[in-house]
This record gives sequence, C-alpha cells and structure tokens, in this order.
Amino acid sequence: MALSVSEVLPGAGAATTRRQIWSIGGGKGGIGKSLLAASIGWQLARMGRRVVLVDADLGGANLHTCLGLPAPARTLADFIQRRVDSIDEVLTDTQAPGLRVISGAADLLSAANIKHLQKVRVMNQVRALDVDVVLIDLGAGTSFNILDFFLLSDVSILAVVPEPTSIENGYRFIKSALYRRLRAVASNDAVRELVDAALDPRNLEGIRTPAELVARVENEDAESGRALRREMASFQPRFVVNEVRDTADVAIGHQLVAACGRHLGLRASYAGFVHHDDAVWRAVRRRRLFMSDAPTSRAAEEIRQLTRGLVKGEDLGHGY
Amino acid sequence: MATDAAPQGAPAGPGQDARDDLYAALGLEPRASRDEVERAYRFSLELYGEGALGTYSLLEPAEAEAQRVRVCEAYEVLSDEQKRQAYDAAQGFLPPETPVLPFPSPKHSRDAQELPEVLTGAELRRMREARGVSLRHIASVTKIGLRYLEYLEEDRFQFLPAPVYLRGFLQEYARLVGIDPRRTADAYMSRLAPKR
Repeated sequence: MALSVSEVLPGAGAATTRRQIWSIGGGKGGIGKSLLAASIGWQLARMGRRVVLVDADLGGANLHTCLGLPAPARTLADFIQRRVDSIDEVLTDTQAPGLRVISGAADLLSAANIKHLQKVRVMNQVRALDVDVVLIDLGAGTSFNILDFFLLSDVSILAVVPEPTSIENGYRFIKSALYRRLRAVASNDAVRELVDAALDPRNLEGIRTPAELVARVENEDAESGRALRREMASFQPRFVVNEVRDTADVAIGHQLVAACGRHLGLRASYAGFVHHDDAVWRAVRRRRLFMSDAPTSRAAEEIRQLTRGLVKGEDLGHGY
Repeated sequence: MATDAAPQGAPAGPGQDARDDLYAALGLEPRASRDEVERAYRFSLELYGEGALGTYSLLEPAEAEAQRVRVCEAYEVLSDEQKRQAYDAAQGFLPPETPVLPFPSPKHSRDAQELPEVLTGAELRRMREARGVSLRHIASVTKIGLRYLEYLEEDRFQFLPAPVYLRGFLQEYARLVGIDPRRTADAYMSRLAPKR
C-alpha cells in the first residue's frame, strides 16, 4: 500500500519550524550514495543546519562507517521492532557539531520489508525530529519502502555514476517512483488499472511513457487526468552525477534532465556532479570522511557547491 | 546517422513534451537565438547519438533514430533564416531574439574598443559588477546554471563544459553584461590550452 501524504502529515506539520526531509536514492548499489549522504549532511551541518542522517539502507547499512563511527549500539531496527519507544533513542552523535546519525541495521534483513504501519510510525517520528534537515540514505533497490521515502521527501536526490547500469537503474527508479505516486492518487479502479498496465513497458494498452499514460487517463476521466498531471508536475528528482572523470561525464547529467523532460514529461534538474577523487577513498580507508580529512580536495569542494545549490534550489541549467 | 530529412515523417509521439513544434525537438523555446539553435542542435545530436549514455536505456534504438531524424529536420529549418521566418510566421511565433531583455543597455561600440585581447574571469566579473548585473539575473535569463557562471569568473576550466558550449555561455554572458559577445568569447577562450 502506498503511504499517502495525508496519513503522514496531519499534526506533524502543525508544530513549530519547518523541517525538511531530503533523501538520496539511485536504484543501484555501489555508486557512493552513502558517501554522498554523509558528506552532504556534513556540509549542511557546517552551514549551521541541525541535521540527522538516517541510514535507511536496511539491507546494507554502512553510513556510520562513512562517518568514521563504530558499529552503533542501537539502530533503526530497534525502533522498528519497538525495542525502544522513541526514535530519539537511536540517535548517535558524530564528530561534527550539529550532525547526528540514525544507523541502519546490517543484521536485520527483514527490516528492509517493514510493514505499512511501521513505515507510518517511522515517517511520523522522523518528521517530528527537532532538527532542520533529515537526510535519508535510501540504499539500493526500488522496493516500495524506498520509493515511499523518496516520494515523501522535500528534496529527492537521485544519484548516478556515468555507467550504463547505473543510468538504467536510475531511470527504472524514477519510473517506479512516479508510477507509484500516480497510482496513489488514482481515484478509481479503471485509472489504477491503467497505471498498473503502464508499468509493464510491453503493455497491451500501448502506453510507453508517463506522459502517454496521463493522456490516456485524461481521455477516460478528465478529473483524474488533472490529478495525475499535478502529481507529475510536483515530482522533481534532482540528479547528482558521482564519480565523473571528464567533461563528457559531467554532460550526462544534462542529458538525463533533457531526456526526462522530453520523453517522460518530468521536470528533473541537475543538482551537481562530483569528480572521481583519490582523496575520497584514501579517507574511506582511514575510516574518515573526506570532507574533514581532505577539505581542499576537488570532491570536497564540489560537495560544498552541490549542497549550497540544493539549499538554494539552484541547479546547473540545461547545459547548452 | 540519418541526415536526410523527411520521408518517413518522424513520429512526434505523445510521449514528449506537450509542445511538439520544431523548437521542442531541440529542447528550445521559440525566439531562441541562432547560437542557441546551434548549441541545442549539437546537444541533441549527442543526446540521441548511438549508445548515448543518457538515452540508450530509455529509448529503443528505433526511437532514438526517429529522434535523430527529427532533430535534423528541426535544425534544417531553424538554422536557415528564411525557412525559420516562414515557419515562425506559420506557427504564430515571435521572431528570434525578441528581447527578453538585458537590462543595462548594451554599449557595444564603446566596449569593443575597451576589450583586451585576453580576458580573465576576474576581469569579466569586474565588468559585470561595474554594470550592476547579477549572476543570478544572467542565470535566470539564459538558463545557464549559476554555478557554471561562477566557474567562468573563477577561471575553473576543468569544471566548464566543452568549448562549443563554453563559447555560447560566454557570448550569452557578454550579451547580458553589455559587452561584445564574440570578442569576449575569443578573449576568454584564448587562454584555454589548445588540447581542449
């Protein structure tokens, strides 16, 4: 079942300051999502934000390692399994002032399959954290849980590396997330069936893209069509291309944005890129974060720019 | 690459943006400048090139091929002044470069004399600031990412796009600052290592 906004938001938003949920997904493992999350979180804290990093990569959690922390005593799994009552009890401090982390649970595969109500409980408590930004490392894959966290974020970051498999997974991730969102707002069974059909690229309805789906729905039911259109417009993934090595790699982010616009009807943006940088893995081997270990490195500088851009809602434009 | 325009008629499928005019085929708005048409064309060719990373897993080979045909068709009309005029008129589009406008009035003639043979990013910034033009304004009018404009002024060549796009960025920048676009681009790019 999809997590609807109304389930999560009531009350949670009524209180004091506006906290933002950011998430980093990407579909594929090993593309540096955890390092991106750790370093963007680190930079946000440097900029004076109170930040909590959440390692939602429940199958392969390693955010704490990226931050140079030992395996945590308590993890998100303890909260999900109700061994602790409040999500505050699984918060761990880091060396960086203003930056705390909620670790995932490498030992608990079943947690990757958390139930709907557990998910609502996690989202509600995450939203209620007294911080400025909650940054969620989504881990690999396109499971419903991952997509729901991605969809409920104020800033949805999609990480890719300049490799065919990563790009392919990136598109799959975007399409899955989008269709899930469209399905959640479908007002009747007929529309839901169309959305479900569209998920299969070789579907008999002949619907190849989200834009075609919306057009089809509009034909059937103008009201639903408008609802889908609104959802499409509010879905704005922000690409980050990690591990770039040359100008052509940098340009891939622009290609992704153009392709999303022209062929998926989606307004994506290119938030930034991070060069492949030996300083990053040297720091990883020392179990330190390159942001503090090698602050003058190219990657660190690019993370600072990327983060500033994300805060201000700026992107790299169309690239031509 | 299919460069001959037409016969099969490229499918302007409903899978694209709502607009399916020739400008949209290149990811442009009507009124785009000639330079923009040029750059958007090159970009689109790369975008739909065989095995291009950004599209190969999204489009079937036949779709990419159809897009290439469409891009070439669009370019053939939009790069030709007369054909473009006729097309714009038929579609009811405003003519190219109808001002979206640079706010300080350009004083090309005077600045043309002032421009040195070689220009650094710092000098560009000085000229821009002297005219009270913000980078943010340039970014919002030209759709060039603010960060690229910063890289430009900081001379951070390794972060800047390929020369063909960089030249365009410089010309747009110059246009909005009110200095001679071509000479600005030449003077700035003269410092780039020839291997680029």
